[in-house]
Amino acid sequence: MDFLQISQTGLTVIIGTIALALFGIFFGLVYKGIDRKLSAHMQGRIGPPIRQPFRDVVKLFTKENIVPENAIPWIFNLVPLVGLVATISILLYLPLGGFQPLFPGKGDLILILYLLIIPSLAMVIGGFSSGSPYATIGAQREMATMIAYEFPLAIIIITIAWRLSIQGVTNVFALSSIAATPVWNIAGPLGFIGFIILLLVLVIITPAELSKIPFDSPEAETEIAGGLLTEYSGRNLAMFYLTDGVKTVAMASLIIALFFPYNLSPLFGLESYPAFAVDIAFYLAKVFLVILFSVTLIRVSVARLKIDQIVYTYWVPLTLLSLVGLICIMWDQTIMANFGLQPVFEMLGIV
Amino acid sequence: MFTLEPLLETFQTGSGFWSPIIWIVAIIVAFLVAVILRGFGKKEYKEKTGQTQAFLSGNPEYEKEQMHIKGSNLYWGFTESLEWVFDALKKMHTGNVSDYALWFVIVVAILFIVLITGENLMGAI
Repeated sequence: MDFLQISQTGLTVIIGTIALALFGIFFGLVYKGIDRKLSAHMQGRIGPPIRQPFRDVVKLFTKENIVPENAIPWIFNLVPLVGLVATISILLYLPLGGFQPLFPGKGDLILILYLLIIPSLAMVIGGFSSGSPYATIGAQREMATMIAYEFPLAIIIITIAWRLSIQGVTNVFALSSIAATPVWNIAGPLGFIGFIILLLVLVIITPAELSKIPFDSPEAETEIAGGLLTEYSGRNLAMFYLTDGVKTVAMASLIIALFFPYNLSPLFGLESYPAFAVDIAFYLAKVFLVILFSVTLIRVSVARLKIDQIVYTYWVPLTLLSLVGLICIMWDQTIMANFGLQPVFEMLGIV
Repeated sequence: MFTLEPLLETFQTGSGFWSPIIWIVAIIVAFLVAVILRGFGKKEYKEKTGQTQAFLSGNPEYEKEQMHIKGSNLYWGFTESLEWVFDALKKMHTGNVSDYALWFVIVVAILFIVLITGENLMGAI
């Protein structure tokens, strides 16, 4: 690699990261506004205007940035930044707006899973460093929640990668490979059911990743006064607020990349700029739909679970459900592929 | 001689890959963006006043040792919801060596059954 190539790559990283940071923050806040407006309407309220999250950030910037006496100041001030930075870096490896990831060959799905842990971990460290009993309880709960949802999430990722490897796809953990081979195109009837189950589990994992009702016991405003965010205020709280927005976009983009990587432009035979415009609009619509089903609808329809109920939900019913999905996909590949549908129907006495 | 080449390589694990240098540069840039954004916020607060006390809904603050979560309770929620699993596991740990040897034999037998049946099943397919 010569100097020219290095400087070109460096420039791409710098400009790309700035652009993705602005993209993530802007759309994160827009979708936050839409989510709040929709959930208000679902509860028979008018709700705040869609631009309210932007006003909230501006308001937080004008508020005092209080550091509690019991806190460890440098950790307390640093972790909100760490959370936001790690979340922005996830966007580098995700296909956004119908385009390939910015660095398709430089980071894979496993890296994204690790990076997704950092914002939650930052909140845990921030909570413990606050020196507040509420925050400590919140941090402890966040840690248990993290351990809980990682298990079914890992099963989903491994299942998709395994199915792609059977298909002969190289680099099964590369988001570009996954997006190029949509799972629905390679699944038989049983596999289709299996992937629907996995999608359902992933949709239920999303609110926990984003600390939303019913899995928001680490924050639980009405019980522990905001939990791990109790002592945060002003610009530090604004950083966590932005992290939440960017993480929502990242999670929705991950679900889209894994399950709905389709673009509209090939359908209409579009090329160049019209194709870009159609694909970006379609991607934004998909993000909206994913947030609607995995965040808004869930959070307005159910009440908050207790922390032991959260752990039970993820480790027992959802893990079993994702294992059922895995078995369906395995059988689809072995029994169905080798014997076909007809003998299976005959065996079951349907034909 | 020191060369940049190895640092710029993408690490391959056989199935996964990542390039640390790209990530580090991106992290530094994102950090600068976040710091600039944070810079728009107000820095000041009233030190050593009531506002820097831990918020406890108006309740008095006890000794720190009494108010913090102990290491043994760090995974509460986890231990609580999976208590039935831990109880079953505790019962197995009788402290009797012959019981442990019996468990070892049972586990090996199950593994053999799984492996042999699995192999026959794959052979049949």
